[in-house]
Amino acid sequence: MATEAGARLGLKYLDTNGFGAAQGGRGYYLPVDIAVRSDGRIYVLSRGDAIQGGNGVKVTDIEHTWYEVFSGRGTDPGQFISATAIAFDANDRLFMADEILNRITIFDPDHNYVAQWGAEGSGPGEFDGPSGIAFDTDGNLLVVDDKNQRAQRYTPEGEYLSSFGSGGSGDGEFNYPWGITVAPDGVIYVADWRNDRIQRFTHQGEFIDSQGGSGDGEGQFNRPSNVAVDNDGNIFVADWGNQCVQAFDNDWNFQTSIRGAGELSVWAAEYIDANADEKAARASFNPYPELDVVDPHEVSSRTEPYFWDPVSVAMYDDSRLLVLETGRHRFQIYEKV
Amino acid sequence: MSTVTNVGTDFDLIAHLLRRTGFGATRDELEEYAALGYEGALDKLFNPGDADALPVDLIRRYHADQSDLRIPPSSGSFWMYRMVTTKAPFEEKIALFWHRVFATGQTKVIQGKVMISQIEMFRKYGLGSFRELLIQLSRDPAMILWLDNQDNHKDAVNENYGREILELFAMGVGNYTEEDVKECARAFTGWTIANMPYMSTKMRNNTLRPYGYIAWQYEYDESDHDDGEKTFLGETGNFNGEDIIDIICKNPATPRFIARHLYHHFVADEFPVPQWPFEEPKDPEAIQIMVDAYFANDYSIGAMLRAMFASDIFKAESTRFARIKSPVEIVVGTLRLAGDFDWPTDDVYKATAACTYMGQQLLGPASVEGWMGGDDWISTGSMVQRINFASDTVGDPEKRGIKSIIVRIAERHEPGNVEPEALVDDCLDLVGRLQVGDDTLEGLVAFARDQGDVDASTDDGAGKITSLLQLIVSSREYQLA
Repeated sequence: MATEAGARLGLKYLDTNGFGAAQGGRGYYLPVDIAVRSDGRIYVLSRGDAIQGGNGVKVTDIEHTWYEVFSGRGTDPGQFISATAIAFDANDRLFMADEILNRITIFDPDHNYVAQWGAEGSGPGEFDGPSGIAFDTDGNLLVVDDKNQRAQRYTPEGEYLSSFGSGGSGDGEFNYPWGITVAPDGVIYVADWRNDRIQRFTHQGEFIDSQGGSGDGEGQFNRPSNVAVDNDGNIFVADWGNQCVQAFDNDWNFQTSIRGAGELSVWAAEYIDANADEKAARASFNPYPELDVVDPHEVSSRTEPYFWDPVSVAMYDDSRLLVLETGRHRFQIYEKV
Repeated sequence: MSTVTNVGTDFDLIAHLLRRTGFGATRDELEEYAALGYEGALDKLFNPGDADALPVDLIRRYHADQSDLRIPPSSGSFWMYRMVTTKAPFEEKIALFWHRVFATGQTKVIQGKVMISQIEMFRKYGLGSFRELLIQLSRDPAMILWLDNQDNHKDAVNENYGREILELFAMGVGNYTEEDVKECARAFTGWTIANMPYMSTKMRNNTLRPYGYIAWQYEYDESDHDDGEKTFLGETGNFNGEDIIDIICKNPATPRFIARHLYHHFVADEFPVPQWPFEEPKDPEAIQIMVDAYFANDYSIGAMLRAMFASDIFKAESTRFARIKSPVEIVVGTLRLAGDFDWPTDDVYKATAACTYMGQQLLGPASVEGWMGGDDWISTGSMVQRINFASDTVGDPEKRGIKSIIVRIAERHEPGNVEPEALVDDCLDLVGRLQVGDDTLEGLVAFARDQGDVDASTDDGAGKITSLLQLIVSSREYQLA
C-alpha cells in the first residue's frame, strides 16, 4: 500500500499469536527470529534457554493454526545450541544459523534435515557467531558474521563468495551487527547493533547510507536488532533496546513508532479459560499499571501488552507486520494504515 | 635472582581490606589501591564510580534467558556476571550482605526479575541511611510477596512482615513485644503490588503461561490501609509504615543488631543469629564503634562500616584470614583472579551452579534467616566442590589473569630457572598475598621442586606455574578471607 504524499504511514494493532511454552509443544519460548514461507505459514525460531534446552522451530499461520515443531537443542545434524536466525530460499527450504556451533543448517519443505555447513574462524568462509541470514536476489545467502564484524555471501551449498564490512563506526563498518534483510529491490539492510544504526548496502555490498544514532527519539535507536522492508520500500526497525518498532519511508523519513498492544491470543485465552483461578484473578487485571520506572526494559517487564525485547520483524502478505518478542514468547500483528 | 616487589605490611593490609570488601584482588588491583594508601583505598571503595561491568545489552543479547530472568540459573548467572566483572566489588559485597539479612528466595517468589531488582536496590541504598533502606525494603515487591504483605489487609491483618522486620531485619528477638508485632503489621497494611490478585495467583501457580512473568510493581492502596491509632514501642499515633521505621531506627537495639550482622559479614564469624539473645557479641568494642557511627551519621550504614574498617580491630593481624569464604566468595574471587567472563559465555551457568553445589544458591537462601556461614560452609562434599572449581578455573595458562601472573613472574627473574622457594613466594604474592602455614608452605615448595626447573618465559614454565597455582587454590588457607 503506497502512502499518499504527505500522509504518514501508520501501524494498527490487529492480533497476537503466541503462548509461553518452555516445556515444548504449542507456543514459543524465548523466540529470536520469525520468517514467512511462500504459502503463508509462519515459522518461529524458538531458541529456549541454556538450561532447559532449545525449543525448536515452531510452525503456525496467521489464523493461529498450530502445525508442528521440529529441530531442537543438540549438536547432531538438524539440531542447534544457540540458533539465531532463519530464512527461506526460493524453493521453500529453511536455512537456520547457530552462533555457538558456527554453522548453517538446511531443512527441506517437509522439515527434514538436508545439510549443514560452516566452520569457526575469522578467515574467508569462516564464522564467529552467525547472527542474521537473508537471501539476496540472486539466491545466495548473506550471513552476518557478528564477532568478525562483517557480512559474508555464500551459495546455498556453502561456497564462499564474498564479504563486506569490518569493525568500526564509519560508513560500512560494524559494531557487533545482528539482523540482515534484503529488500524487494535488492538493497541490503544490516542492523548495526552496537552502533545504534541501520546501514544500507547495494546488492554488491557497497555502502549506500545509514540511519540512526544512539537515543530514544524519532529516528534514533538503542541496539536495533532487525529490519523489515515492504514492497513500497517502507522500513520497519526492531528497536530492541528501546522496546519499540519504528517505521520510516524509503528516504528515512520517520513515520510512526509503536510500543506494543498485545492481547490474549487464541492459545492464551484457551489457557486462561481452562484455569478458573487465573481467570478469576485476571478479571481485575489492569494491563497498564502506574509504574515507578522509566527504563524501557523495566517498563516492558511490568506491562504485558508492550513489546518486551522485540527482536525481529517480518512482512506478511506485504500488508501486515509481524513483531516477534523474545520476552513475551509471542508475536504481534499490525496492519499498515 | 629473585626480586619479589612490593612486599610489605601495607600491601598485606590492603589485600585484607580487599578480601573483605570484595572478592580478593588481582595484583593490578592491589597495586592500584595500595598506591592510594589505606584511607585513599577506603575513599575509592566507598566512591567507586562506574562499575564498568560486562554490559547488560551483551548479556541480554547472547543469553536471551538472562533478559526475562525467569529461572534461577538465569537470574543467578546475571548477578554472577556483575560480581565477576565489576570494578566496584564492594557494591556486590553489600548486596550479598543485605540479601543474607533480608533473605528473600526465588523458590517462593518465583520471579528472578524482581529478585534482581531487589539486588539493584541493595546496591543503590545499601550503604546509605538505614531508614531509607528499610522504606525501600518495605516497598520492594519481592519482599512484599516473600512475606505475604499482599495479604495484610485493613480488616484482616497478616503479621508476617510486621514480625520479620522486627525479628530478622532490624532489631532481633527480645527487643519488642507481641503487641508491637501486631501494631507494626497494622501500619504496613495497604503496602502491596499492582494487580495483586492476578500476580499472587501466578506466583502460586508458578507458570510462565501465557506470556511469561509480569514483573511486579509496588502500589500503596490507601483504601486498604489501617489508619487507626497504634501504640508501638511505647509511642502512640496514627502510624503508617514510615512512622514505624522512624521508631525502629532510633531504637538503640537496631544499630546493635545491624552492627552484629556487619561484624559477622565483614570482620569475623559471630554466633548464629538465633543465639544472639543469649550470647554477648564476640567483640563488644567493635559493635560499639559501629553503633556510635550510626547515631552520629543519621543512621548511615556506610559510616558504620567506614568506622569499622578504620579501627585497629579490623586491621589486626588476628582478624586476617579469620573468616571462611562463602561459596560465592570462592567462585567469584577465583574467576576474577583468572580473568574470566570478558564476554558472554555459557560457562557462567557452571559458575552459578558451582555456588549451589557448595551450599549457596544465589537468590535462594536456605531460610528466612539466610545462610549461617562460618563453619556451616564446610563439609566433605563442599570442600571437594570448592577445590575442584578453583583448581579447574586457574588451570588454563591462556586465561588473562593467569597469563598476567606468569608474565609477572617472568619479569621478576632473570631468564632461566626460578628457585622453588622463590616461585612459591611469587605465586602466593600474586594470588592476593595469601599467607599459608608452614606445613602448606613445605608442601608447595616440595611440589615446585618436584616439577623441576621452571623458566617462566617458556610454555613449559607457564604450565608448571599453572600447576602450582592449582595447588595453591586447593589449600586450606585459600578457603579463608
